[in-house]
Amino acid sequence: MRQPPINRIAPDAIKAWKISAAIAEGMLWLITIALFVVAFIFEFSYWFGAVAVLISGMTTLFFVFLLPKLRWRRWRYEVFEQEIYIQHGILIVSRTLVPMIRVQHVDTKQGPILKKYNLASVEISTAATTHEIPALLEEDASELRDRISALARVDEDDV
Amino acid sequence: MSEAKRLHPAAIIFNLIKTIREFLFAIILGFITFRDESLLYFILILAGLVVIFITSSVLTWYRYTYRVEDDELRIEYGVFIRKKRYISKNRIQSIDLTSGVIHRIFKLTKVQIETAGSGTDAEASLSAVKLAEGEALRQELKSRSLESAGDDEFADETAETSNPSSTIRFKRLFLAGTTSGSIGVIMALAATAFSQVEQFIPEQFYESSVQWLIGLGIIIIAVMTIVGLLLLWLFGIAGTIIKYGNFTITGNEHELFITRGLLEKKQVTIPLKRIQAVGIQESIIRQPLGFVTVYAEVAGGSMRKGEDFSSILFPIMKRDEVEDFLQTFLPAYAGLQRELRPLPKRARKFYIMRSSILFLLATVAVGIFFPSFIWAPLVLLAGSVFLGWLRHKDGGFRVQGRRLTIRHRLFSRNTIMIFHKRIQAFEEKQHKVQKLQRLETMRLSIVGTMGAGTHFTMKDLEESHTDELSDWYSHRSQ
Repeated sequence: MRQPPINRIAPDAIKAWKISAAIAEGMLWLITIALFVVAFIFEFSYWFGAVAVLISGMTTLFFVFLLPKLRWRRWRYEVFEQEIYIQHGILIVSRTLVPMIRVQHVDTKQGPILKKYNLASVEISTAATTHEIPALLEEDASELRDRISALARVDEDDV
Repeated sequence: MSEAKRLHPAAIIFNLIKTIREFLFAIILGFITFRDESLLYFILILAGLVVIFITSSVLTWYRYTYRVEDDELRIEYGVFIRKKRYISKNRIQSIDLTSGVIHRIFKLTKVQIETAGSGTDAEASLSAVKLAEGEALRQELKSRSLESAGDDEFADETAETSNPSSTIRFKRLFLAGTTSGSIGVIMALAATAFSQVEQFIPEQFYESSVQWLIGLGIIIIAVMTIVGLLLLWLFGIAGTIIKYGNFTITGNEHELFITRGLLEKKQVTIPLKRIQAVGIQESIIRQPLGFVTVYAEVAGGSMRKGEDFSSILFPIMKRDEVEDFLQTFLPAYAGLQRELRPLPKRARKFYIMRSSILFLLATVAVGIFFPSFIWAPLVLLAGSVFLGWLRHKDGGFRVQGRRLTIRHRLFSRNTIMIFHKRIQAFEEKQHKVQKLQRLETMRLSIVGTMGAGTHFTMKDLEESHTDELSDWYSHRSQ
């Protein structure tokens, strides 16, 4: 593979991802607790609950404490005058080239968790694909959006 | 053509059919509900509805007018709410003429006009106009320099045109039918049926006469199954002949016109600049016979029901006729490359593993639980290993200037030619095992139908090759 892109996304992305993963895990823990309650009321075997605890614990460890950091470490991007270069993926490393002249529109998005850390994602759409650069600092994201949309304005003859 | 015109009165029939189809469910539901007590009321209501439907169909027809004025197609319609739709000539991407069976009785045609929008329906659809009128309208709306292009072969098939044209011969059409996709499934089914029968017959014969009769029954069933499969196959042939009968392609330097269909006659226009890629497909049955299908990936527009995702440019031709065909109709895509750069040898094991892993597991499972039936998954396993081997052997790519040729196989072998400017994004992927083996997966995206992308994935290319390709694609290196 060629040289990876140079820019990293905001370090706070790890925290934001941890929170959203924790919320999803919270659901799993609720189910686990519910299993114990059901077992207590209907005099069920506690085995199901025990297995659920094991599963919840392991997934929590993995998705909340391990994955965000690995993901952040891999995520890189670079915006050139002619194209956008993105790298992501933990087990499968993917590097994508999106030419500026193919960009149809650019969006910035911000959910409540990203907002808490003043982050935003940039979404780049071509006529065939969409690519997302998640969790940049708010100023960076809007600056990047404006820059890409300015660079993408170069028009070519047809689709 | 500045005066406003109405559609042919047959449009009333089409309006009526359309309205009835929309209300059919409600009518059937009503019938079931009121069947017992108030059938009389139901019939009265139904009669009323029919009168309303007919009136509204007539009114719709009466209020629907179209005209060409100031380089625009102007349609005015609507019974209670008057609507006007003006479509500028310059925005029209293609004009398709379709004649169904009813149309052909009255010598009519349906005109569908498409702009670049990505809706599911055509921008404007004139459900019934006289064939000559449709032709004239098309001529009229064909703006710019295309006016002189002789494309009246739809109305007058003997018209002499300077544009190249190619028609399918019946023998070829028949061959296309006999080798169409359904035959593979049928052959597999027949093979399974035969092997089953063979398993049963000897046992049955050794036993008493009653058993023998049952055996006879099984033979009858088997014969009937075979006859059924044969019928299916014949239907497949007939379907192909009806769909692609009289297939004719004509081209000029801006567009391709395709006319096809025995019962429903269809004319489709493909503007050359909307073609994103050209592909050559060799199905597993046709490949040994040396026959191919040529198709194009066409961007955007509407996608009608029952249409294929990519447009068939010619249903069947000999492999060595392709070059001539491309020279004539798509000169930009001519210069077919057979010598492609192959996948590395070390990728073969991954290909074979990917295609056969499921069957390997199945073989193990069957071997444990039903050892006497082990032959079935074994056959499938051998087939899948062979398929994986073929997939590896057929994979390859080549860059010629601004054009990229890739070849890959799922079941059919596809050779696809894409120009640099049509590729929307380029992605290279590598997982841990690939990294050890210095292999990479490449994924190209082009514009597909209805605003969704079409993606081509090539697995396990040489790492240095994908780097070359990404350098080729990168807009920085220009």
